[in-house]
Amino acid sequence: MNNDAQSIQTSVKDYLMKTFLPGEDPESLTPDTPLISGGILDSISTVKLVTFLEEQYKVEFQAHEINSDNLETLTDIAKTIQLKSAARA
Amino acid sequence: MDFSLTDDQRQLRDRMAKFAQLELNSGAIERDRDQVFSHDLWKRCGEMGLQGLPVARDFGGEGLDPLSTAIALEGFGYGCRDAGLLFAVCAHLLACAVPISLHGSGIVKKKYLPGLCNGTLIAVNGMTEETSGSDAFHMASRAVSDGNGYRISGVKTLATNGPIANLAVVYAVTDEKKGAHGGITGFVVETETPGLRQSQRFDKLGFRSAMMGRLVFEDVFVPKENVLGGVGGGSTIFTQSMEWERICIAACHVGAMQHLMERAIEYARTRTAQGSPIGKYQAVSHKIADMKIRVETTRLLVYHAASRIGKARDNAMNASMVKVYASECLQKTALETVQIFGGHGILTENELERALRDSIGSSIYSGTNEVQRNIIASWLGL
Repeated sequence: MNNDAQSIQTSVKDYLMKTFLPGEDPESLTPDTPLISGGILDSISTVKLVTFLEEQYKVEFQAHEINSDNLETLTDIAKTIQLKSAARA
Repeated sequence: MDFSLTDDQRQLRDRMAKFAQLELNSGAIERDRDQVFSHDLWKRCGEMGLQGLPVARDFGGEGLDPLSTAIALEGFGYGCRDAGLLFAVCAHLLACAVPISLHGSGIVKKKYLPGLCNGTLIAVNGMTEETSGSDAFHMASRAVSDGNGYRISGVKTLATNGPIANLAVVYAVTDEKKGAHGGITGFVVETETPGLRQSQRFDKLGFRSAMMGRLVFEDVFVPKENVLGGVGGGSTIFTQSMEWERICIAACHVGAMQHLMERAIEYARTRTAQGSPIGKYQAVSHKIADMKIRVETTRLLVYHAASRIGKARDNAMNASMVKVYASECLQKTALETVQIFGGHGILTENELERALRDSIGSSIYSGTNEVQRNIIASWLGL
């Protein structure tokens, strides 16, 4: 699994486009597009995203870590996964 | 795939059923009529370990896995005719003791779990508000940081055990900007804390021996060690507790349906019409055959979902499926049992009209069935 920021962003973007934004223009989802405050992710889709991240990157989120600080944008998500992967290593 | 129970699980279910039949049912008609909660029976349930089934033994619980917990509650549901007591135990156990056990600080677990497990304490879950029920995370209650803790203000309603509880698990907004994920925090609050008021019980249709009411928080101070699972983790913790509640209350429904079906069979074999037992008429026997289908299919759904608790986040969808299916099966089974009993079915002394009244709330509490269908659709990408 390639865990550089760009690869994580690409993989998560693919997942988000397929799962939550089918038929939308991929260009509209940038590294800084707000996912939670922008309404792309509601409470259940946020949990679905976390499920994807946990399975894909073999990391674990505690209850209080599922929030916009860690998941608001593709940039935030990549940073969070990298931090968690580093802590696990 | 092996669907058989272990000897231990079978004995556990039988033990709970027998305990409930022998110890909890006397006076159930009167407690329903008068809307009385029995502290004595609550303590007996505590002695039996019901209020702490999945809680670790170190903290006074029975240390059961989720599937065994569901199987024990199936036995409880089969034997217990006091649906209010049963509902009070489930709300206390699944929405309070379980999240405290999974997410409480060391201090909180040590201080409260033994009492929650042995029946010394009664807990209430404070989530629903007058303006947020199905959209539970759009709550008005607020918790503001204050030195070594938080100050909570808000009003929770339709809270099971609210009027009699010593301890509350309550959720409040700690960061409005973050919304559901990250903006809501769970707290453990002693109900004697200054500023917290418990209302009188509400009158209601079913499970009338469970006390339901309002909790009013006016600037209630809670020390920071009473935060559940970290600031901002409230929605995830609440969702997890609802997964437990939806699955394990459905296990009680399996037991209740089994009991109703057995009563219907017994009646259909002995009650005669036009010279034959009514069970010989397909209008009756097919109803009972459908009851059997509902019992077995619900049981399979419950066991499957219970065996997945804590193992996969998407078990939330299984919990919703179980909740919808079990509650609708219970309502239908209760209604058809009354119908099979005819005029005797609506007499209070036969305890079937009560079972029917008790079943109605099941499609409403723990999240309405409409909301459960929304959750299922959402997990399906719709």
